[in-house]
Amino acid sequence: MIQNNNDKNSDSQSAPAARAAKEIFAAELEGLNDKLAERDAELLRLQEERDAEIRELNEVKAQLEEAKSILEIRVSAKTKELRDLTANLGKEVEERTRELRGKIEESEHSRVALMNMLEDMEDLRRRAEEEKEKTLAIITNFADGLLFFDSSDCLALANPQIEAYFGASKEDVLSLIGKKIGGLENVAGFKPLVELVGGSLQKISRKELFLSDKLVLEVSSLEVAGRHGKIGTLVTIHDITREKTVERMKTEFVSIAAHQLRTPISAIKWTLRMILDGDLGPITEEQRDFLDKTYKSNERMINLINDLLNVTRIEEGRHLYNLILVNLEDIVYALAGTYSELLKQKNLSLEFKKPEKPLPQVKIDVEKMRLVVSNLIENAIKYTPVGGTISVSIVSDGANMRVSVRDTGMGILKDQEERIFTKYFRGSNAIRMETEGTGLGLFIAKNIVETHGGSIGFVSQEGKGTTFTFTVPLASSAAPKT
Amino acid sequence: MEKILLIEDEELIIRLLGKKLASIGYEITLAMDGQEGLEKMRENRPDLILLDIIMPKKGGFEVMEEMKKDPALAKIPVIIISNSGQPLELEKAKKLGAADWLVKTEFDPKEVVEKIKKHI
Repeated sequence: MIQNNNDKNSDSQSAPAARAAKEIFAAELEGLNDKLAERDAELLRLQEERDAEIRELNEVKAQLEEAKSILEIRVSAKTKELRDLTANLGKEVEERTRELRGKIEESEHSRVALMNMLEDMEDLRRRAEEEKEKTLAIITNFADGLLFFDSSDCLALANPQIEAYFGASKEDVLSLIGKKIGGLENVAGFKPLVELVGGSLQKISRKELFLSDKLVLEVSSLEVAGRHGKIGTLVTIHDITREKTVERMKTEFVSIAAHQLRTPISAIKWTLRMILDGDLGPITEEQRDFLDKTYKSNERMINLINDLLNVTRIEEGRHLYNLILVNLEDIVYALAGTYSELLKQKNLSLEFKKPEKPLPQVKIDVEKMRLVVSNLIENAIKYTPVGGTISVSIVSDGANMRVSVRDTGMGILKDQEERIFTKYFRGSNAIRMETEGTGLGLFIAKNIVETHGGSIGFVSQEGKGTTFTFTVPLASSAAPKT
Repeated sequence: MEKILLIEDEELIIRLLGKKLASIGYEITLAMDGQEGLEKMRENRPDLILLDIIMPKKGGFEVMEEMKKDPALAKIPVIIISNSGQPLELEKAKKLGAADWLVKTEFDPKEVVEKIKKHI
């Protein structure tokens, strides 16, 4: 740049004066020298600058070298680290993979299990559905009439047999769904049922409902409970018309048979009695002995027939005929006085504790009640050893008359207490002591007492004695069982 | 001596009882069915009648119904002798005016005599 400027200056001052030119030249030379010096200085400076730059560069280079080595170290460290990491990573990955595989397997299992469960659920659902269908089919086709009341005592279900029993149409029955038992009266045919069951659904066991000669039903009502409490109440209605007919025929048969048996047996009894009494002429002692035993056998036969008749009457449920208001103590007193002969034979004493104050009257079937009292007294006489005591007492506790017959007899065996009122049952010690007996007396007594609305029970101690007590309710509304 | 009419279809019973009562001294008339019984009581007006319930031709209850209609017979005491002690029958006999009732298996001829003595 500077050189270019010098060239231009020489071109413009060449021609006019040499001196001038010389001067100029000298000047110019001088200028040039200056310029050269300047240039040298410049160069020197540049050189210095370059050296400085080189130094700097070298420094930088050195720094770079250092940095590079540092970097290399770092890189190699990192590389190592990475290598280590990689190696660890491999392991870890492997482990994780294994773990994951395990998890996958596990979840696979779970999935399978879940699928199985779902299948099972489906199966269960299907089965539940089938069960429901089955149940419905059973209910619909069940021979008995069924009424199901839900847990709030509203009618939830009625099967078609109900329609037939109560002369109602399907629509009639449908209109009763959701109603309480009392509401069933809305359909006229159900009135007798409502009367029998009462206003609320209490437990009923086999109550008989006579709708006509051709239709006798047996009604039972039972609370149905599930695992979580009451589900509802099931009323079952069973047609027992046929059973009733057969029962009646059976009873009639036994009754007729027993009555027919009584005719010849009375003839035998009377004949033997008159022979024994000498009305038909004298007999030898041996003849008397035989005839006496025959007479006693015949008496046993009479008792057996009487018991049979009583049992059939009980089973027929028409045991009470003649309910009248009487003083029970008079009846007991009169009865207690009829055993003097038997008591004398066994040297037993019979005490009757007649109440101090007159007792309230009770409404009873006198004949039947006599049977109860005489059964108890006769048992006491039979099963009390010679010299014992029998005491009969009667009290009123305000609600019931309580009649007790206490003896000092052989007692009832503990393990036989439960069966003592069972038909045909006789205590094993009783059989040993007295071979004769039908096992019907206490059965009959219990039935009579219960038909009167009372109860019968006993306390007994083996070898010491027994006390039988029965009650008759004072406000007795006893009615024959129907 | 008092006259007793015995109406009973069971031969053995009627013979035994007839013999027993005759031995005591009663004047005995026998009838084997209800119809015959009615005829005999119209003939000889007994002081007491022993009457069975179940008999051929006419039963004991029918006999009593006819007696009730006839003022001449209505007042004669009747003791029923029956095979049955069925309360329904007993009730019916009472309504028809029977003086007493006895079940053959539960009494013997001696006791029958005692009963008769109560009503004659």
